[in-house]
Amino acid sequence: MNDPDRLEQPWRLWASVAILSVFAFSVLFGFVLMPVMQGRAAGIDAFEAICRALGITPGSPAARQPTTNAKAQPATRVAWSADLLNSLTKATAAGESLAGSCAGCHGRDGRAVEVKLYPDLAGQSAAAIYKQLHDFKTGSRPSALMTPMVQALTEEQMVAVSAHFAAFPVRPIPAAQLPAAGAAIEGLVARGDSGRGMPACNACHGDQSGGPTEAPRLSRQSREYLAAQLRAFKTGERRNDIYSRMRSVAAPLTESEIDGLALFYASTRTY
Amino acid sequence: MLVTHARQLTFAHLWLAFLAFAVALVLGVWQMWARSPLPAPFVAASTYFSAVTAHGTAMAYVMPVFMIMGFGYYVAETALDRPLPAPRWAWSAFALGLAGALMATVTIFSGRAAVLFTFYPPLTASVFFYLGLVMVVAASWIWCVLMMVAMAQWKRANPGRPVPLAMFATVANAVMWLWTTIGVAAELLFQVIPAALGLKAQLDVGLSRTLFSWTLHAIVYFWLIPSYIAFYTMVPQAAGGRLYSDTMGRLTFILFLIYSLPVGLHHLLMDPQQSNAFKFLQVALTALVSVPTLLTVFTIGASLEIAGRLRGGRGLLGWIGALPWDRPLVLATGLAFLMLGFGGFGGLVNMSYGMNAMVHNTSWVTAHFHLIFGGTVVIMYFAIAYAIWPAVTGRAAPSLAAQRLQLWLWFAGMLVMTLPWHYLGLLGQWRRVATFNYADPIIAGWGPWVVVSLIGGVILLGSGLLFVLNLLQFNVSREPHAAAPGELYASAVHPPARVPAALNGFRLWNALVLVLMILAYGYPIAQFFVGDSPQALVHRVDERR
Repeated sequence: MNDPDRLEQPWRLWASVAILSVFAFSVLFGFVLMPVMQGRAAGIDAFEAICRALGITPGSPAARQPTTNAKAQPATRVAWSADLLNSLTKATAAGESLAGSCAGCHGRDGRAVEVKLYPDLAGQSAAAIYKQLHDFKTGSRPSALMTPMVQALTEEQMVAVSAHFAAFPVRPIPAAQLPAAGAAIEGLVARGDSGRGMPACNACHGDQSGGPTEAPRLSRQSREYLAAQLRAFKTGERRNDIYSRMRSVAAPLTESEIDGLALFYASTRTY
Repeated sequence: MLVTHARQLTFAHLWLAFLAFAVALVLGVWQMWARSPLPAPFVAASTYFSAVTAHGTAMAYVMPVFMIMGFGYYVAETALDRPLPAPRWAWSAFALGLAGALMATVTIFSGRAAVLFTFYPPLTASVFFYLGLVMVVAASWIWCVLMMVAMAQWKRANPGRPVPLAMFATVANAVMWLWTTIGVAAELLFQVIPAALGLKAQLDVGLSRTLFSWTLHAIVYFWLIPSYIAFYTMVPQAAGGRLYSDTMGRLTFILFLIYSLPVGLHHLLMDPQQSNAFKFLQVALTALVSVPTLLTVFTIGASLEIAGRLRGGRGLLGWIGALPWDRPLVLATGLAFLMLGFGGFGGLVNMSYGMNAMVHNTSWVTAHFHLIFGGTVVIMYFAIAYAIWPAVTGRAAPSLAAQRLQLWLWFAGMLVMTLPWHYLGLLGQWRRVATFNYADPIIAGWGPWVVVSLIGGVILLGSGLLFVLNLLQFNVSREPHAAAPGELYASAVHPPARVPAALNGFRLWNALVLVLMILAYGYPIAQFFVGDSPQALVHRVDERR
């Protein structure tokens, strides 16, 4: 035992053997035995089951996948990417020339000619405009007026026209002040109503919100237009909201709350 | 020998740790209040998530890092009986860590880091939050190097002699921490910080979660090891006995080093980006942590039995009653073991794939890590502080009764808080949620349990404040402390005269960790660089729309 090597040697050897055998056992069990047995029960052949267990092919070795061949029907076909969002920040000449055909309803400068029927586009987020154009085109948001208008637009043209209108300044608050919406409505905006499972409107539509990319700004749209959209979500007539967010928020709203919320946003500056 | 720089370093580090702890404790109680059916002040989702971020950052990063650094400096001087190398570096590390902690705190309280304390993009905080935490970790790296240098210098001065167990274990923790932080450092450096700076608009969250999992389990052992150092080196002495086996201690710390790292995928059992087989492999390796745990339960049990019998305990279990339970360190060990039992049971549930699927996103998980970390680990931090404070301040403890009361309150509060919390998890109460709708008939039934849990939280707050008060009492104590600091450590029944190099250093074990990490994490990380993997849009908390 006085030879230092004789004291050291077994440690190096046996520690490595012990640790690597635990490893080998886990690999044998987890990479081979378990997937093969799980695969057999699910009708998946041994090779495919091992590939799935390793993560080389998708799916679980324990279940046949995909379980259905039905085609998914997403609420919208818009897929956000950094490039897309980046291109939406640049107003171009192409956008300006395309905007001519929108001006009849939405105005040259993005201020709608008939605010009760059509939304203002001036100062709206480009992502929100693009999302709606895309949805009109793909049928996610069918509209007798808009769907035919956007059919001919390419992806790039939709981006261009969205960026164009987003760049205009928002409409100033009308001189004749609207009545205040009241504390109950402001409570819904700021805190929601946990009793009815409703999140605060501010959670997505506030100026510091962490909401979805496509959440539009609401302030200074007309009361009539906002109320009509909330009612369309409430009845399910409009259904291009991902995860049914707006449909589930609008469903428990009462008629007077819808009008109150519409009034609130029509008369505020920052949302 | 405890020369002034270790004394002052330990004093400064532990106070900083416990101040962060006290603030975080207040936030924790408020968070439980906000989630309860009782009307709480300041409740809003944004406030809640900022508070959780601050609580987690203080409790998981700032408090343990400074506690471990301070305790390490103490061990390095007292166990090795020689001055700390390069104390100037130690103070620089303290300043760096303090600046980082303050930077992170300011960022959180200005509402720009409501991202919780787990680094899970695409939600990203202000870059100052991450930079602050990087500074805290960098400070701990300096500490790691100092610990390794201290041990190397001692070995050079004492060729052939075994490194004292307390220092061997401290260096095991330092080595493990260096390995541990590689994962999160890579995630922050290559993904999160560029995203927070706006240099990256998209990132691969599968990769970030995998890199974070590398750190996520081993960090728990980093917190835990000081408690184990106390179990092995301080508790047998406090109980009036001897350590049953020095070798068992060395093996335990080595096994912690090896099996803390290639196991992190068990935090991703519900994640789709990792395959079944690699999850299985890492869960199997996770299960091996039972070996050092059981070694410890046995060795410390045997050491305490020696102490109990030396004190006149007879019969099969009579030695338990004969132990000096009035000594805080012994009492804390008993309470810590009880909580380790409950927490270990919960942990077995979490690491079992099928059961984990049931509890994964529920309060069960939150309750589990509060019981293990807040319970077993933190109660030992208290006991360590009580044990070393006489040497650090040079004054004797004014009241052991107040210390015992504080430890009992902590134990009671932790059980009252976490046991109903576990149960709520089984009922389906989800975690990471600010408020609940108690008007919902299903959720209404949770209310009473949440209130009981909150009462536990209030007891913990009382205990935590009493702890701070107990430490402050040392400053008004007039009675000087006489015993030499080195007398804190137990000698083994058979003190080792000579140990193989494998049990006196970490070269072999580092090689084995490297092999295991390549085998267990190689492909799970490499897969993100082969072919296209989906990217997520970065969402910055401090970006104003």
